[in-house]
Parts: sequence; C-alpha cells; structure tokens
Amino acid sequence: MGDNRLMIKVTVNDRLYELQVDPELRLVDLLRDELGLTGTKEGCGKGECGACTIIMNGKTVNSCMVLAFQADGSEILTIEGMGDGEELHPIQEAFIRQGAVQCGYCTPGMVLSAKAILDKNPNPSEEEIRKGISGNLCRCTGYQKIVDAIKDAAEVMGGGGDER
Amino acid sequence: MKGNIVGHSVPKVDAKAKVTGKALYATDLYMEDMLYMQVLRAPYAHAVIRKIDLAQALAVPGIVRIITKEDLPGLKNHGLIFKDQPALVGIGEKVRFTGDTLAIVIGESNIQVRKAIKKIKVEYDKLEVITDPLRAMEEDAVTIHTAGNIVCTHKLDKGDIVRGFMEADLIVYNEFKTQHVEHITLQPDAGLATLEEDDTICIWAATQWLHDTRVDVAQAMGLPVEKIRIIQPAIGGAFGKREDIIAQLHLAIAVREVKRPVKTIYSREESIIATSKRHPMIFRFRTGVKKDGTLTAWEATVIGDTGAYASSGPAVVHKGLYHCTGPYDCPNVRGVAYTVYTNNTYAGAMRGFGATQTAFAYESQMDIIAEKLGINPIELRLKNAYQVGSTTPNGQKLYASVGVKETIIKAVEAFERLGGVIR
Amino acid sequence: MKKRGVGIASVMFGFGYGEGFPDHSTASIRIKPDGRVEVKTAAADVGQGVLTVVSQIAAEILGVPVESIDLVNGDTAVTRSSGSTSATRQTFFTGNAVMNTAQILRSIIFDLAVKVYGKTYPELYFENSCVVPHGAEEKKISFAELAKIAAERGEKLEAEGSYFPITTPPDPSNGQGERVYVSYTFVTTIAEVEIDLGTGQVEVIRMVAAPDVGQAIHPQNVEGQMEGGSAQGIGMALMEEILFDEYGTLLNPNLSTYLIPTSLDVPRMQTVIVEDEEPLGPFGAKGIGEPAMISTAPAIINAIYNACGVRIKELPATPEKILRELKKLAAGN
Ligand code: FES
Ligand code: FES
Repeated sequence: MGDNRLMIKVTVNDRLYELQVDPELRLVDLLRDELGLTGTKEGCGKGECGACTIIMNGKTVNSCMVLAFQADGSEILTIEGMGDGEELHPIQEAFIRQGAVQCGYCTPGMVLSAKAILDKNPNPSEEEIRKGISGNLCRCTGYQKIVDAIKDAAEVMGGGGDER
Repeated sequence: MKGNIVGHSVPKVDAKAKVTGKALYATDLYMEDMLYMQVLRAPYAHAVIRKIDLAQALAVPGIVRIITKEDLPGLKNHGLIFKDQPALVGIGEKVRFTGDTLAIVIGESNIQVRKAIKKIKVEYDKLEVITDPLRAMEEDAVTIHTAGNIVCTHKLDKGDIVRGFMEADLIVYNEFKTQHVEHITLQPDAGLATLEEDDTICIWAATQWLHDTRVDVAQAMGLPVEKIRIIQPAIGGAFGKREDIIAQLHLAIAVREVKRPVKTIYSREESIIATSKRHPMIFRFRTGVKKDGTLTAWEATVIGDTGAYASSGPAVVHKGLYHCTGPYDCPNVRGVAYTVYTNNTYAGAMRGFGATQTAFAYESQMDIIAEKLGINPIELRLKNAYQVGSTTPNGQKLYASVGVKETIIKAVEAFERLGGVIR
Repeated sequence: MKKRGVGIASVMFGFGYGEGFPDHSTASIRIKPDGRVEVKTAAADVGQGVLTVVSQIAAEILGVPVESIDLVNGDTAVTRSSGSTSATRQTFFTGNAVMNTAQILRSIIFDLAVKVYGKTYPELYFENSCVVPHGAEEKKISFAELAKIAAERGEKLEAEGSYFPITTPPDPSNGQGERVYVSYTFVTTIAEVEIDLGTGQVEVIRMVAAPDVGQAIHPQNVEGQMEGGSAQGIGMALMEEILFDEYGTLLNPNLSTYLIPTSLDVPRMQTVIVEDEEPLGPFGAKGIGEPAMISTAPAIINAIYNACGVRIKELPATPEKILRELKKLAAGN
C-alpha cells in the first residue's frame, strides 16, 4: 500500500483534515475507520440502502459509493456534525419526540436526508418527504413516524404553516 | 392499568444515542491490534469435501492464520433446538448449503482477508441437491442428515374430526404456499471478540438471547460456560435472525487461536446467503362449515422447509399448525406438521414464527368460505371469533383478555372513519 | 385501468415460548448512593423499546421519574438471563420480572423507612425519588439519604426477582394441553389496494390495524411496532422472495434484487389500540412484536381478490403472478 497514496484536504463537520489516502479507500471507510466517525453506517456497500448517507457540498451522497480521494476539497457533514455540542438539532429532537427511532441503524442517514430535504424546501408535503427519503431503507419503523418527525421538524424550524 | 408513567409515551431511553450517531453497534467497535476475520463458504449446496488447499491463500501478505476443521477435531455441532449445525466442515464431511463454512481466515486487513479467501482451492464430490421439501420427503431422496430428511413431526387432534365434517354443510379444501423471506436487518451481521487474561472469551455481537448464545458457543467449543462472556452492543435490527449464533462461534474459535482481538463484518450478500430465513410453508386446509357460517371441522397438513439445518424450525413449523384456525373457535381440529431438511439456506426464527405463514392460509380460507356461503367476511369472522371460554386447537381454554371481536369492530370503525368503504 | 378492493384479516398469536419450556426472565434493581435507580436486565432491545418499557415499569412502582433510571444491559458477566427478545415475550416476561423486583425493592425501602421514622405511620408513599410520610410531607427522605442510612446499617437497597410462569407441554399424540401459551394477542387489519390491471402492480392505499395488547405500556411504541410490522407484511405480500436455483444457489442476495418496501411503498396507516387487560401481564399488558406483522399480508391478499377476482394462493403476489391470473380469469369467461 503506502506508495501510491494520495494527499487530500477535506472538511468534515467544520474541521479541516489533510490526509494521505489509499486510492481504493472508500469515503465511508475514511470516515469510520480513519476519522473514527462511526455514526455513519454501512448497510450494503452498494448504494442500495442509504445507511451511509452523508451531506457533501450540500447534497446527500451514499458514502459507500464515493472514493475518499474524490472528496478532496469538499465539505462534508456527518451525523456527528448535526446539532451543536450537547444541543440536538431540531430534526434530531423531532425524531425522538415522534418515536421515529427503533433499531437506529438507518437513523443517521435518515436524519441527514431529512436535513437535505428541509434545506431545499422548508415546508415539504408528505409526498415530497416520502420521495426525499425513498433512498433510505428502514426495516423497523414503516417510515410513518420518520415522515411525521420530518414534518414536525419543519414546523419547529419555522417552515410550518400548511399542515400537509 | 394506566399509571403516571405506564401508558404514556415517554421519550425512548435509547433514542438520543441513536439520533446522534453515538450508539455503538458491533460494526462500530475497534480495538488496538485488532485483526479481521472472514470465512470461506461452501462451493456447492450439497457435496462431500475432499481437499482444502490453503497454500496460496497463506501466502497473501497480512494473513495471520487460516483455521479449518482439521485444526479443531473436538469442535461440536451447535443449534438452537437440535445440535445439527457444524461451525466448520472438514475433509470427508458434507456441506449442506452454500453458506456452510470451510475455513476461517484471519488477517491484518479486510482487503487482505478477502483476497486470501479467493485463493483457497476446494475439491469436492457433488451430491443430489434437494431444494423442494416435497422431494426431500420422498423415499428415494438422498438424506441430507443421517437420521433422514424429516426433522420432526407434530400432531394435533381436538374433538372428533369425523363428526365435525359430518356436521358440515360445506367442505372447502385449499392449498396455500409461502416463500423464503429474508429479515434484512439494516445492520449486517458483525462482531468483535477478545481473549481476556484468564482465557475468558468476550464477544460483542448482536444477539437476541445472550445467555443462550453463551451456552451454545461454550458447548460447541467444549469450554465451561463461564469462559464465554457475551456483551450486547446496540442492535441494528433482529426480527429473529439474531437467534442463531454462527458468527459468534467463528469469532470465538478465531480469537482463541490468534490471541488478538478479532472483528468480522458480513457483507450484505454473505448475510443473505448464510444466515437464517423465514420458513417457506405449505398448508393444506380442509374446513367444514355450516350454512350459517359456524365452523365445525378444520383439518391441516403443514410442511415447512427448514433448509440445511433445524435452527428454530422444529418450533416454528408446529407453531404454524397450532395456530391453524386463527382466532376462530372450531370444536374439531386435526392436523400434522412436518419439518423438513433441504439444501436451501437454513430457515429459523422470523417475526411471527410460523404463525405469520399460517395466517395467510387461514385468512384466505375464511374469505373463500365467506364467498361460497354468501356471508359477509366480517360477519363470518365475528360469528366464529374467540371469546372468553373458547378453546384453541391445543385445547387451551381462554379465560381472559380475548379482545379479537373488539379488534374487528374497532378496525372497521376506523376504516370507515377514514372514508374507506367495505364492499 | 385501475381497480380498488378492500380486505380484512384477523389473527391470533400465542406468545412466550410456551409448551412447557422453562421460559423466564430475571431482573435486579438497586438504589445507588446518589439516589438514582439502577435496573439490570439482559433483555435485548432490538429497537422495539423494551428498555423504555422496563424503565417505565420500574419508575412507576418506585415513584421515580424515568430520567432517574440507569440501565445496565446485556452482559453475561453482570446480568442474569432475561430470556430472548423473541416470541413476543419481553414486555410480558421481563416486564413482569422488573415489576416483581421493583415491588420487592419497594417493600425493602418501605421497611427501612418505617425503622428510620421510628414510628408506624399509617402509610408512607413514594414520590419523586423520596419516601414521604402522609401529613408530614416536610419530613420526607430522599432515596439518596435512605441509601446512605442503609449503608450505615449494613443493609442494602437492592432486590432481584424473576417471572417464571408454568406452561403445559402439549401431549405429543394430539397436541392438547391446558396452558400451552401464557396468553394470546389479537390483531385485525383492513387494507385497501389499487391494482393496475395493465401492469399487475398493487398499491396499498389505505390501512388500519387494531391490536389487542391488553394494556399499552408505551402507546407510541405499540404504533411503531404496528407500522413497522405492517411494512414487513406489505413486503411479504407483494414483493419479497428469496430465490434458489435447482443447485441450491441463492439467486438474489442483495438489496437491488431482493426488494423490501421503501417509503413510497408503505401508505400512511392508522393504529387503533384495543386494551382488553390480561390479568397476568404487567399492568395488564400483552406482547405485540410479532403479531404486528401477521395480519397485513392476508388482508392485502383478500383485498386483491376483492378488487379483481384473483385469488393468490402462493406468496408473494407479484405483478407477473397477478397478470397471469388475470389472463386465466379472462380466458375462463
Ligand atoms: S451502505 Fe451505502 S447505500 Fe448501503
Ligand atoms: S430504525 Fe431500524 S432500520 Fe430504521
């Protein structure tokens, strides 16, 4: 290994890292194995489940489908960067309030997808929410309480208004 | 009884750790000096293994150890009900499905371990592969386990089935079939094991029953129970899949050999191929009913495909039989359930445990009967639904908390409130 | 063209291992020196919420807020068996074990409090991690103080308890037994589907479910079980099937070939909780984990028949299967 390593600069949760990475290393492994950010989960490694969802340059991506060096120069938000220290982000609070968390393995990815939905549209309809999380599989909840949590967060965050 | 706290939806105690990503699942555990483990699975679903050549695999850089059955002659089978499942299949022994394990490979990185696995060469003699439980039950079928392909048979006989059919105005016969279903726990199987100074093996892995896991791992390895310690990390879904213990056992074997922490994470593909499924089941129901809809007789044959190993199968399949009349009172019930081996991936516990499969069958049967009698399906259900004093197919008298009629009435009301129209 | 239909299914589920199997749970609870309550069980919380449920039960009986419960979970070195998280048994079995244990501890605390007060008050009550004498509320003693007093006297504010009900092994010749399962949960589901007669595609558009859970300890968790279970039921009814070829090779081992429901496949559903109390359950509760998924698939299959006259007798009801059956129906007419 070693020799053909690439130098990258990447900002993760507002912290700048300069790293040497193997060209085959996936972004999910960089985050989990090398930066210790294990909140990002792997459920399939093939872009099929959304458990590894992160926000990269403002857009959700499956971090299992991105190579680490491709993240060079980018800004990344993982679940560890949601909220502010001890303060939870309103989306996280809404997930707890609505009972949207069961086993929790899909939760980090769901929360980030939820953030991306609300960043784009502070007052999404149920259908828009369902479309927005359709790349994130959840085997436990049947999605209803997740949808409710995202609506709830939208209201708390001031998008509110239209009940739908 | 509702209380100040009971009956109220307080915030779930584990939710905060989960929404912040702080909850640690087995996949999230790391230790210094940790090695990675993967296993080589069977090349064919039913075969006798002749040779396992490790030479090239051992030459892959970073490989620390490859363990085969030859290294552990004393290793015993494991299993939740019957001890019929080997953690390793050795030379001259049989693999019974494509998830059986031939070698445990341990190395410094996962990439190296996967590379080495591809370099192991296996020679084997193929046997007839049985994927159909009905074929497995035939006289001339090759036996998957020495005692035969029928793992066990359960019987049910309540009341007088002959009289029940004589009293019937209508007799309805149907056959129903269910499929192999996969749990898809979002967290794939994973675990980490360490060897403590006093030789205790510690295993962190999702399991639904850690004390049972401990005993089964210990007996398979011939160790005292106290020498195995199971610690529960956060569990990324279970649904029955995490009752079987194969990854834990491989980790225990590995850590004892290499004396360094060992971690494993299954790929999704491996998890689907090698771990338990929902039993596919066949139901043959003959039901006797009076013109007014009163059930008089229910005869059931149930066949469940438990795949290569029994796992929870002997309990799952007969639970399907014991629940064959659903929530309906029928005075005369007779039935038999066969749990059958095949070379499919073994089937075990999955949410509903046989009662899920049988419900599809009896509720379809009830609708078919309703139509034949020209009775509204809801009325037919209400007419036969259990109440206090009814007896189940097992002859158990229900003495309290029999809310089935209320569930029907409440469901209909709610459906209509939402604007639904029952046709 | 699209057609709609409605289907109903009611189910029963005997929970616990039953059949004479030695099914039991053990729990232990102690008051820690800081007055917080430690509840130890080996119950695996797979997301369903048993740890919340046992916290509620302990908090209710000991008169403390849920926030002052500290949980010690699954570790064979420090917890005794709570049985498995399966058979829909944890709320009932570990719930009962925690209830029994909390009651024992409550009586231990009560005895100590009587000694501390030096007189027999008509009654003491528990409130907010304190023992409070009726009519002399200002003299209340906190659990932290009581723990200190207990330590000074060489006593311990801790208890261990179990729940170990007896069930009957069914007679092997006929399956008959007096008490084969401890109790039964019932659920009714009504589903409405819309079928595209051109493609055979089935969409579940409306669903209600009414589970009889005896008493909901945590209603939101009960809904969560129903919603998640129903989604799995939709998968089983319409799309999920692991396939093997004749050589026993599993053909679809990934999530692009083995499809499970996404947020677009599951409709908004309504859960109506029915509470017909089970006298043996903790606070009257029964389990719901497994029965939550059982009635969904048959309700959908019955709705498909109601919509278009196709009776699916082999799961799952894939579009191809429905189209094939529709063709057969058309040919028959
Ligand atoms: S792990 Fe990346 S999409 Fe499943
Ligand atoms: S909560 Fe378990 S997968 Fe979503």
